[in-house]
Amino acid sequence: MRYFSLKRFGMLTLLVIAAGLLIFIATHAHAHPPTLPKQPDKSASPNWSLAEAVSFSPALAITPPPAAQEPCLSCHILGENKGIWTPLARWILFGGMGLIFILGVYRSASTWVTRSPWKSFTNRAVGWVDERYRISEPLSKILKKPVPKYALHWWYCLGGITAFLFVVQGITGILLAFYYKPTPEAAYASIQYIESQVYLGAAIRAIHHWCANGMIVMCVAHMSRVFIMGAYKQPRELNWVSGVVLLILTLVFGFTGYLLPWDQRAFWATTVGSEIAGGVPAIGNLALVFLRVGWNVTGETLSRFYGLHVIIVPLATVAFMGAHFLMVRRQGVAKPL
Amino acid sequence: MSDIEHKSEDTIPFFPDHVRTEFFVVLGILAIVVIIAIAGLIKPVGLEEPADPLNTPLHVKPEWYFLSLYQILKKIPAMVLGIQGKTIGVMLPILLLGLILIWPFLDHKPDKSRRVYWVRMALVVFTIIFIIALTIWGEVS
Repeated sequence: MRYFSLKRFGMLTLLVIAAGLLIFIATHAHAHPPTLPKQPDKSASPNWSLAEAVSFSPALAITPPPAAQEPCLSCHILGENKGIWTPLARWILFGGMGLIFILGVYRSASTWVTRSPWKSFTNRAVGWVDERYRISEPLSKILKKPVPKYALHWWYCLGGITAFLFVVQGITGILLAFYYKPTPEAAYASIQYIESQVYLGAAIRAIHHWCANGMIVMCVAHMSRVFIMGAYKQPRELNWVSGVVLLILTLVFGFTGYLLPWDQRAFWATTVGSEIAGGVPAIGNLALVFLRVGWNVTGETLSRFYGLHVIIVPLATVAFMGAHFLMVRRQGVAKPL
Repeated sequence: MSDIEHKSEDTIPFFPDHVRTEFFVVLGILAIVVIIAIAGLIKPVGLEEPADPLNTPLHVKPEWYFLSLYQILKKIPAMVLGIQGKTIGVMLPILLLGLILIWPFLDHKPDKSRRVYWVRMALVVFTIIFIIALTIWGEVS
């Protein structure tokens, strides 16, 4: 086999030239050549006739000197400051080309092994994984599990709605945590910042606020449904116990989350709430000090509540929710009389 | 462990039939979430004054879901049967929660007829009305 051929050499040369061009464009080329303002020539004597002409034509006088533009290749490619049609046309053109390219790659990869019968790339990838880890059989068993028709009544949806609201709370909570600062100096201002400056921040906070209330309502509704229908009876005792634990965790979510805005209502509700916890016989003071980290509600309390609200309680909730779901899955939906 | 035996005509497969219904429920909830988001953009949740440990407001209220417990605590007499009222007000919800937690072990006999549904429904409705009444009382007081 010849290692040197004119064809290869030519291809390599073309590649090198293309790469060089790309690097040059990326580092040197300017979309708009920089137009720097002309420095006035101070050595020359003032041109009085021009000054007079300028002073009589206001349009000329107020025209500012051209600003030193920052030429930026990405702005040029994205068609910034060019209205809507230019960038749109570019997105359609280059996006379509990209899609055609990806489709071509997918098709090529699908027919890579030419001797075996044609299979799509997806089938090949799934087959590759299944060959090694044997997941399709248990997975199809899980997915094909029969669900009784009576489980389609609306009151069987309440638990699922609670779980979905928990997911919503998780997502919006993560988004809020990007901007929230759990210190007594910055907490209030960061909430104000979220509500006024962050893009859709007020909407995210409203969702988090109202869905928290909705989650508690849905918890209680689901619990009432299970209680009324007697679905907690043998063999589902532990489902009920884990459900009650989940309700308690939801209430802890509410209690700890209420302090985080660090406004008057939050501060005093927490003060009173932890004082009530301090009224429990025997372990009251321990509970009080655990909640407040000291004898008063301070920045330490805020940090602790933040940690509970963001890390510990969610982890516990996910664990108990997983157990709850697995138990329901194993035993099936309880049959009503 | 008791797997319920179903006849095949009484069931639907989990995927895709049951998942499809769940998907539509989720879509409905998402629609409500979007409505909440738009309402939040028009009228944000808002904040009160910044926290001030030296300035106690006149009325301190917990969240609405703790309001009924708080109302019990406020209205309970100082001494009941020789025990401090405050202790009772604190222990009552804890004991109730403990009772709810171990309820399946207390009420373990299988149901005989649908009539127990109505008994328990009445219990639930009564409890919820009681809690709502206490909450409204706490809200207006």
